[in-house]
Amino acid sequence: MIIWNENFAILLMEVRHNISSRIVEAYIGEYASGKSEIAVNRAIMLARGGHRVSLVDLDIVEPCYTLRPIKKQLMGMGIDVLAWETRETLGLGEVGNIMRPANRWALKRPGDIILDIGYGVEGSRTLNLLEGAGTDPDLKIMVVVNVSRPMTSSVDDIVEYIGQLGRVDALVNNTHLGDETTPEVIQEGAKTVARAAAALGLPVVATTAVEEVAEKIGPKDCMGNQVWAIRRYMPHTLW
Amino acid sequence: MADKPIQGEKRVFMTGNEVVAYAAMAAKAEIMYGYPITPQNEIMHYWTRMAPKYNREFLQTEDELSAGFTTLGGVLAGRKAFTATAGPGNTLMQEPMSMAEAMRLPSVVVVQQRGGPSTATVIYSQQEVTMTTLGGNGEGLRVVYSTSTHQELFDYTIKAFNTAWKYRFPTFVLGDGYQAKMRESLTMYDPEERGIELLPAQPYMGKPGTPGVDRPPSQYRNTYNVEEELYEVLQGYFEDYAKMAPEVAEYESFGVDDSDLVVVSHGVVARACKEAVKELREAGVKVGYFRPITLRPLPEKQLREAAEKSGRFLVAESAQGQLDRLLKEALFGAKVEMIPMYKPGVGITSEEVAARVKSVMG
Repeated sequence: MIIWNENFAILLMEVRHNISSRIVEAYIGEYASGKSEIAVNRAIMLARGGHRVSLVDLDIVEPCYTLRPIKKQLMGMGIDVLAWETRETLGLGEVGNIMRPANRWALKRPGDIILDIGYGVEGSRTLNLLEGAGTDPDLKIMVVVNVSRPMTSSVDDIVEYIGQLGRVDALVNNTHLGDETTPEVIQEGAKTVARAAAALGLPVVATTAVEEVAEKIGPKDCMGNQVWAIRRYMPHTLW
Repeated sequence: MADKPIQGEKRVFMTGNEVVAYAAMAAKAEIMYGYPITPQNEIMHYWTRMAPKYNREFLQTEDELSAGFTTLGGVLAGRKAFTATAGPGNTLMQEPMSMAEAMRLPSVVVVQQRGGPSTATVIYSQQEVTMTTLGGNGEGLRVVYSTSTHQELFDYTIKAFNTAWKYRFPTFVLGDGYQAKMRESLTMYDPEERGIELLPAQPYMGKPGTPGVDRPPSQYRNTYNVEEELYEVLQGYFEDYAKMAPEVAEYESFGVDDSDLVVVSHGVVARACKEAVKELREAGVKVGYFRPITLRPLPEKQLREAAEKSGRFLVAESAQGQLDRLLKEALFGAKVEMIPMYKPGVGITSEEVAARVKSVMG
């Protein structure tokens, strides 16, 4: 028999508050849509806001192209990076795609959790390997969309693509053309992503832009979405 | 069913592998045969994603030998067929492509080089130059384009089909793992809207009419009973190739006329060399840039001119002298000092090239 008292109620409220303020976001999307870049920037954004953050590398399709090379840099920013160390996978060759055991339990970690899930539709299934992924009350699955990528260049393409991904909670407009990105490119992307989101009945949580371009756009894009100013870290990961 | 994957012109942001799949679509390739190997997998992935939408076909085979031979089957049946591979897959691909050389079959192969020998790394190298230009037994004849940017991957994949079907030699697009995985922007276009004529495929087998009566019989051979017969056939092939070479050979160069040293490179390494040479020239250093786009046939005349003018070549490549060996053969007898800058299986940056040029030139 549970004895209901005021202290217990307060404790329960605190627990509820802690759970609901926990940010848990999984970034998925079309191959090369910018998932890792957004996940890295989101983790940095939260860490700078004083949050405890775990950034989890869940690319098990191509582990040699992932966060590893910038792991130390990110840890220096106070982020817990859950990714293989290169030396830990030496000797595995092409079979280096073994899920890091700690990553399986990532959702049980305290603080905010950002999941970087590689490789398109196949990659989105990686989420099933995480303990608690089906029941985590705070988990939001975000699809990163770059309208400059031909596979997701129109409303129909985006709707069709997202339909294959299983559960999705929100969209992020990450439209860009690399060094050639202009505010117009991003705003056009915002319009297309907004139409696709409306067709899917999903919200758009943000539009991303590298700092220089974000400054020109301002705090909101033409669709009223929050603009996340990002820096590009991923170009340092391949070379 | 949509008939064209690319309408008009569009600036897009893509990985190199995707670019190849779209370019093959744009070139009206009808079927891809393939067997997975990193770093070329997404060529297959994207081709198979688009194929049902645009009425194209795909066959996954049990290995690269099979992928190569089925590509030749597609060509014999009069289809624009291609395959893509890398590393040890490229090794296996040499046997079918040798048959393509024997039978003059316009097969197109895209190679995304990875580290070697054997399985080595899935990531990057320029170590498949010797094999891609000279693989196969006998003096096989082929065309090899070495691309440097995503725009070129698009342009030259389209061009490869035309070269193959015009001259009937197997044609290779030689990329690498960095180009395969790297993301950058390019303009995709419908070649016909740009006025590029896409040569149609023609069947080798099953042509109309009675063989020997209405038309010569279709006899395509990779086996001969007597030496003289083979010798005679090959003389015809060598003649065709020599005639074709100046029409097909391509290069890119600048600053060669007034330089004391020319940096020679190909593929993705040429990007670093180009940047380094531009910066050095702005600083007043007498250095030039030369990049063969076709590694086979090489632009021999222009290479020899550059060699005679400058007297020194710095050869930069992510291999232990595979480009250098091709150059030396083409330059035999020319008065030129060959200075190596080899980093097998590893990338080369513009800073490294600039530093090497400075140390050589003093």
